[in-house]
Amino acid sequence: MALLELKNISKIYGDLKALDNVSIKVDKGEWVAIMGPSGSGKSTMMNIIGCMDKPSMGEVLLDGVDISKESQKKLTDIRRDKIGLIFQQFHMVTYLTAVENVMVSQYYHSMPDEEEALEALGRVGLRERAKHLPSQLSGGEQQRVCVARALINHPELILADEPTGNLDEANENIVLDLFRQLHNEGTTLIVVTHDPEVAEAAQRTIVLEHGRVAREVINENFGK
Amino acid sequence: MTKRKMFLRMITASLLRRRSRMLIALLSIAVGATILSGLVTIYYDVPRQMGAQFRSYGANMILLADGKTEMTSESLEKALGLIPESELVGAAPYRYVRLDMPSRQQSFTGAGTDFEQVLKTSPYFSVEGEYPVNAREILIGREIAETIGAKTGSSLELSYKPAAVISENAEQDRHSGASLSGSAEGFNKVPLTANVELDEEGRIASIEVDASSQTPGIGSMVGTDKAFLDQFIGKTLPLRLSGSGSGSGESEGGDSEDNPAQEVDAVTGATVSSQAVVDALNSAVSSEKAAAIENTEHFTVTGILSTGGEEESYIYMTLKDLQRLTGEETLDVAELSVSADAEELEQYAGAVAESNLGITARLVKRVTRSEASVLGKLQALVFLVTVVVLLLTMICVSTTMMAVVSERRREIGLRKALGASDQSIRKEFLGEGVFLGGLGGILGGILGFVFAQVVSVNVFGSSITLQPLLLPITILASIAIAALSCQLPIRRAVAIDPAIVLKGE
Ligand SMILES: Nc1ncnc2c1ncn2[C@@H]1O[C@H](COP(=O)(O)OP(=O)(O)OP(=O)(O)O)[C@@H](O)[C@H]1O
Ligand SMILES: [Mg+2]
Repeated sequence: MALLELKNISKIYGDLKALDNVSIKVDKGEWVAIMGPSGSGKSTMMNIIGCMDKPSMGEVLLDGVDISKESQKKLTDIRRDKIGLIFQQFHMVTYLTAVENVMVSQYYHSMPDEEEALEALGRVGLRERAKHLPSQLSGGEQQRVCVARALINHPELILADEPTGNLDEANENIVLDLFRQLHNEGTTLIVVTHDPEVAEAAQRTIVLEHGRVAREVINENFGK
Repeated sequence: MTKRKMFLRMITASLLRRRSRMLIALLSIAVGATILSGLVTIYYDVPRQMGAQFRSYGANMILLADGKTEMTSESLEKALGLIPESELVGAAPYRYVRLDMPSRQQSFTGAGTDFEQVLKTSPYFSVEGEYPVNAREILIGREIAETIGAKTGSSLELSYKPAAVISENAEQDRHSGASLSGSAEGFNKVPLTANVELDEEGRIASIEVDASSQTPGIGSMVGTDKAFLDQFIGKTLPLRLSGSGSGSGESEGGDSEDNPAQEVDAVTGATVSSQAVVDALNSAVSSEKAAAIENTEHFTVTGILSTGGEEESYIYMTLKDLQRLTGEETLDVAELSVSADAEELEQYAGAVAESNLGITARLVKRVTRSEASVLGKLQALVFLVTVVVLLLTMICVSTTMMAVVSERRREIGLRKALGASDQSIRKEFLGEGVFLGGLGGILGGILGFVFAQVVSVNVFGSSITLQPLLLPITILASIAIAALSCQLPIRRAVAIDPAIVLKGE
């Protein structure tokens, strides 16, 4: 059953078609990688899926609900309840500690729970660094906090835009391992990446070019 | 952990861990609150302060002799009894005389008064040193102190000459350039009068004799006989009639004995009248001499008076000292400070006039009338300054918060991406604003009281009482101002697009 379905969506900025009649389907529990050259519309698509932007044309069905017609407020609710976001630039609240950053996500979602937040940090191997401020953490550590923050509310869908773009090999592997765990737990993952290795970890890769789906590649080696 | 706890944790962390920026906002609120509470305190204290100030500012009623009877301490006491005691702030009696300083051959205006009352009627008197308390202590004006080079503790010799009452001629010597007149009994004990003008050296310059009371054609000749009168010109008093042995008994002029320069010849057949002319002149000079017996005392300067006015050229002493020095009990004026409105003052003045004490009351209308208008203007000014300061505070807080919002664009975008509603964002920023406002309000409320106290003590010379309600009011006002200042920045924050977090900024 499809968790997400884009039906002929376009995003037009003036003369520029950032997305041009794109249709894709992502099943529940599926792990999809999205690749494509710079400016091909990957982030634009993620914004639309992440309920932070609306398409100029077309329908976006998330869990059977057409989010392309929803109000801003309703989109915020859907994003909070169903989606976990991971960004290339980490984006942490600079004046809050690692555990507090995780709790911010809980705070907006439901109830802050320090124990649970510490557990999530433990899962990404940062329990000892819970009281550190972002400035006291390395880039890899910060991204792991962001992963912990994205998974804390058990979202159905995790959207990651270049999650390993700023990480070294070791940290990249830690993050990929976390993704595997999440996948095994049944979380749907959509990961934008430039890195073929990261793409190969996914079940399927969708390649965008000039705002269109150029091709789709099924990863034969997945799970091996 | 509850949501509220997390909320507080987030905003305190935001304020405490991003200190430098928040300190500016906090400081501007604190300054605004300081001025607010300070000026409000002064605003409400000004009428009280200024009222007391004006009531006593150079007095608002003056009592004077009506010109027929002289004013004394007793009659003043009775006049003061006509004014309700509770409304009489103070009443300072004054007696002004000319005092000489023999050591410098200079004269000054001396004033005798009651210093305890002066404190109440002239609170603007600024004394360096102490007010006189004991006998033979004086307070001298700054101008005098500078002229004669006196300091507190200096000893000054002052003398008083009754004839030398403050007048145009007082600077000149009694025997020079003055005019004297005297009378003596002539023929059949009928009195005649003689006037002389003296030149600079004390020699007779001109003479006039009114002998119309004497026997016409004989005794009256002493007033018209040019040869007789011309003899006087150029001579100095006292004189005697030649061949009369000696002058009048009243004359002490032992040195004039046997000196032809001191003699005049009588008008033939009118010896008695001629003698009367000489006697009249001698009596004039002898009474002058008696008056010239100077009363001299030594005084210690206890303080130097600064007022910025003519008082700086006066010498003040206790009324008792002045009365002993002059031997007179008269008062020239009493300055009253009455805590009453113009209408009541008018009423008291009327009562004094009708009392037949020989005292008239005058209102110092300029002060009483301006009191209200000056107060009003002052309050309006304070109000205006407060409004301007609050506006400036708001601009400053608003600007700072605006900078904070743009500084935290990414964080706000992130919060929204994480699911924060507009309402949450609004709440968080408002929370920070309220927190800042509260903290600034507490700080400002306390500093404001100190500020008001300092202003009050320095400007009005009295301390103010703490208004217990002012602190909570200041805090609430600061919170309101901070919250209001945050409105525009909050709108900015709410408008931030969460999509920015996906753009590599
Ligand atoms: N708000 C916008 N206004 C105008 N043009 C935009 C806007 N956002 C994106 N674009 C344009 O749309 C196109 C697609 O942008 P997008 O950010 O989706 O690319 P991308 O595939 O994520 O590239 P990269 O790999 O560099 O992140 C680009 O040409 C970009 O300039
Ligand atoms: Mg991108």
